[in-house]
Amino acid sequence: MLYDFKKKGEHEMDKVMSDKKVILLYVLPALILIMTIVYVPIILTGYYGLLKWDGIGEKTFIGLDNYSKLLTDSMFWKSTYHSFLLAAFSVISLGAYLLVSVILSGKIKGSNLFRKIYLVPMLLSSVAIAQLWMKVYHPTNGVMNRFLLSIGVENPPLWLADTSIVLYAIFLPIIWQYAGFYILIYYAALKNIPESLVEAARIDGASPWQIAYKIKVPLIAGVIKVTIVLAVVGSLKYFDLIYIMTDGGPNGASEVMASYMYKQAFRMNDFGYGSAVGFFLLLIALTVTWLIRKLTATKEEVQY
Amino acid sequence: MFKKTLTMLLLILFVSIFALTACGSDDETDATDDAQGTSDNDTEEVDDGTDEDGDDGDGVKEEVTIDFMHLWPAGISAGQNRIVNEIIDQFQDEYPHIKVEQEVLENEQYKTKLQVVSSSNQLPDVGMTWAAGFMEPYVQGNLFSPLDDILDDPFRSSFVSGTLEAYSVDGVNYAFPLELNIAPIYYNKGIFAEHGLDVPETYDEFLNVVETLADNGVAPIALGNRDRWTGSLWYMYLADRIGGESALNSAIDRSGSFENPALIQAAEETQKLVNMDAFNRGFNGLSNDEAKSEFLNETAAMYLMGSWELPNFTTNEDIPQEFRDNVGFFKFPTIEGGEGDLDSWVGGPGVGLFVAENSEVKEEAKLFVKYFVEKWGEQSVTGAGVIPGTAVDTSSIDLPQLYIDVLNELGNASNITLFADVQMSPGVAEVHLNMIQSLFGNDATPEDFAKTHEEALAEEE
Amino acid sequence: MVETKVSKSQTKSTSQLEKPPSLMRGLMLSKITSWVLFILLSVLAVVQLLPLVWLFFFSLKNNQEVFNLSPLAFPTEPKWENYVTVWTQGNINTYFFNSVWITAASVLLTVFVASFVTFAITRMKWKWNKLVLGLFMVAMMIPIHSTLIPLFSFYTTIGIMNHPLALIITYSAFNLPITIMILLGFYYTLPREVEEAAIMDGCSVHRLFFTIILPMTKPVLATTAIINMIYNWNEYVFVNTFISSDRFKTLTVGIQNFIGQYSTDWGAIGATLMISIIPILLAFFVLSNRIVEGITSGSVKG
Repeated sequence: MLYDFKKKGEHEMDKVMSDKKVILLYVLPALILIMTIVYVPIILTGYYGLLKWDGIGEKTFIGLDNYSKLLTDSMFWKSTYHSFLLAAFSVISLGAYLLVSVILSGKIKGSNLFRKIYLVPMLLSSVAIAQLWMKVYHPTNGVMNRFLLSIGVENPPLWLADTSIVLYAIFLPIIWQYAGFYILIYYAALKNIPESLVEAARIDGASPWQIAYKIKVPLIAGVIKVTIVLAVVGSLKYFDLIYIMTDGGPNGASEVMASYMYKQAFRMNDFGYGSAVGFFLLLIALTVTWLIRKLTATKEEVQY
Repeated sequence: MFKKTLTMLLLILFVSIFALTACGSDDETDATDDAQGTSDNDTEEVDDGTDEDGDDGDGVKEEVTIDFMHLWPAGISAGQNRIVNEIIDQFQDEYPHIKVEQEVLENEQYKTKLQVVSSSNQLPDVGMTWAAGFMEPYVQGNLFSPLDDILDDPFRSSFVSGTLEAYSVDGVNYAFPLELNIAPIYYNKGIFAEHGLDVPETYDEFLNVVETLADNGVAPIALGNRDRWTGSLWYMYLADRIGGESALNSAIDRSGSFENPALIQAAEETQKLVNMDAFNRGFNGLSNDEAKSEFLNETAAMYLMGSWELPNFTTNEDIPQEFRDNVGFFKFPTIEGGEGDLDSWVGGPGVGLFVAENSEVKEEAKLFVKYFVEKWGEQSVTGAGVIPGTAVDTSSIDLPQLYIDVLNELGNASNITLFADVQMSPGVAEVHLNMIQSLFGNDATPEDFAKTHEEALAEEE
Repeated sequence: MVETKVSKSQTKSTSQLEKPPSLMRGLMLSKITSWVLFILLSVLAVVQLLPLVWLFFFSLKNNQEVFNLSPLAFPTEPKWENYVTVWTQGNINTYFFNSVWITAASVLLTVFVASFVTFAITRMKWKWNKLVLGLFMVAMMIPIHSTLIPLFSFYTTIGIMNHPLALIITYSAFNLPITIMILLGFYYTLPREVEEAAIMDGCSVHRLFFTIILPMTKPVLATTAIINMIYNWNEYVFVNTFISSDRFKTLTVGIQNFIGQYSTDWGAIGATLMISIIPILLAFFVLSNRIVEGITSGSVKG
């Protein structure tokens, strides 16, 4: 039914590209997958948040008690603040990754090899990365403090034990861990820019920096926006390294929303409250994403 | 070209999925188990067929499978794992119609999974639990089966007194202990001798040891307080030696208060130790593993830890012989004017075995649990270095001296206070552990420390 | 200085003949900066490679050496037996095989399903496309630990608990949003003229998608495949929760073999991690070549 050779014209294109059956066929597999596997738990999480439940025994419906407790739970807000800090640092670091990617996508020698090497740490599992950085931060024989001692620093910081610096100390490996991820995305996007556009600019006498700044970066603006959302959402629900390296401690100094949720639900057996935290995390991420989309909205997406 | 590869790949994908689905449903051997849903398939599928044929002779009893979830993997817990497998083999020989299938998980993952499967009432038939506060929600939720009916007399009296109580709720027993530990202070004889130090008999002498070592640039005590229960041991001993064995216990069971002056004083003493630099640098950010390595590497002189570490100081070949010969232990010294007794210990049973209440093979599972505990008690010390919950006759077995000494202390113990974080409900335990870290980090005053505990405990009442 | 060499595209001759003087000076300058950049990039590369070297050394140490030697010190007596321990204890062969095929199946499923839906959202005309896109984005925001209990009871009900299918669909579903997000940016930039021309020629939507659009997005498909692959390969929470039988477990479980109640055998964990990184490293190098290949061979310029 799709083979329609009769007419060529705008409406023909529209007709073919708005075929309901085809759209359904293309959208349905993903939609079914996500609805059953992700949305059912999301809805149940919201519902569990209305219960007094240890995740083991009987469930008691308590309405919005957990949510109202959440609003006055200073530890939750502290961990929310930490999560937002992480999100902010992650977004800032995107600038550096973009810079590296722009350089790599140029014709500098060895860029093909560099590009691959830069992504290697991304392949390591969190267990390995955590172990590595615990060695770096060890208070007495860690790489960092040995170096500081050797240049004459008397009392090098206790990176993971000092409540005032532990959060920043642990942000570093998290942000480093994802460097490869974003460089990979930016690199692929930059490589997707047709050579002819860059060439045209060069003929007009644009310097490489101008080409990067005025042509390449604007052309991948859509991808950059996506990475900002990914960085923010990923940071807000970040869990792994914090759980392994500090377990949120000392005394909550490096607690983030997801680790707090985990502790409430699985360690303290307050699954109802943990679910409320998890659901709230989702709402917060949703709001922030909506804000980002609003702030970065442009009239039309760029096309080459 | 691309389309072709795509079609091929998709085809392979679907075929493999269907192939697997198909072979999944092939396993009808474990039919009894299907309701359990969790672990009906195993690597020993092939054995199944042969077993079945062999049993045709009996023909009386229906084949059943017991799912057994534990946390002793063959890699790190080789000794425990070997004994588990031996016991299972013997058990299966003795009861040919019963098959035991294991699932092994690591500590943290084990706890998470136990809670997840409980939420759907899908507990394994037999599994491991911790005592008191940990198991209480499971008992309240009717997930563990009462085991009093198999606790007949010679069996009941084989347990070290006090251990069964840790697994009882309202006088009913729900699990049998497999481990029993006490926590002595291990010390490095070499380092002590080098600085002319003797084993301290009183707390003042102990403080003197700490001071001497600290002045000489040796970390007196190895502590990995990121794990928090490690610091809790120090606090518990101080509370015991100052306020006597009842001080902490009564605060937790609510017959007393946490704002008891003795408990506050214990917190003050803890901070005094911290301020004397008694612990290795950066202890609040170090794991127990990292701290232990400082003791093993002879950069720290003392280490307060459970008797489960004994293999590292006696039989573990990975650790240099000279070091192992150099390790001794002493009891936490008494404090002048305090009410504590030298023979009162911090410790208690570790993991125990439970039977799931909704197990379809409850009778067989109970049979297995009893069989397991009996056999385990006979060989756990010699085979895995684990002190079991049942009494061990030290005269009949050949053990390193350090083991015998610890076992004798265990026999002479006037009291064993169960680890605070196990004693408390999970919610309060988390508060306790966080406060321990704050106390050690000088982020909380002793008064705040006591007050926060009191509030958390009172809220649960 | 980034683009020092002139590309081999059709404009070559013109640009070389008519270089304005300012560009000449720019080229001189750019030669120096290019070297500075090269050195900086090399230093960065060494830093990024160190973790791999560290992991290799780590895998040859025992606990004492792990904790007391400097991370980049080679152990005096390398413990090659760590690898023997890892290979002989537990079912690492099975785990290995499972990791490979479960990862591959999940990656394929995700990438294709995501391509379908991204194509429909960005290129086709329908009312609800923004809403559907929103649904996928929201799905990205749930912390995985919140999903364990609901998913466990769901899989138990439909009877795929303790079956690899549970893992494959979970991985696919959880990776779909991020995959779609990444694809999205690229689909928006695809030139519309191409499809117009194709449709005018009487090409069906399916043919358009499979023979024109998919090949054009090869670089980004490779990118998303790499990302998916890494996520699935290193995942362990779902494996532990949904899989009980040893014969369906994956490599990340192998690590647990060396985590005990009171202590951990780090050397053996290092060896397991080292073994498990090799296949993914290979797959990564193969796939990452595709990222560039796509441009030179497949792309249709608008």
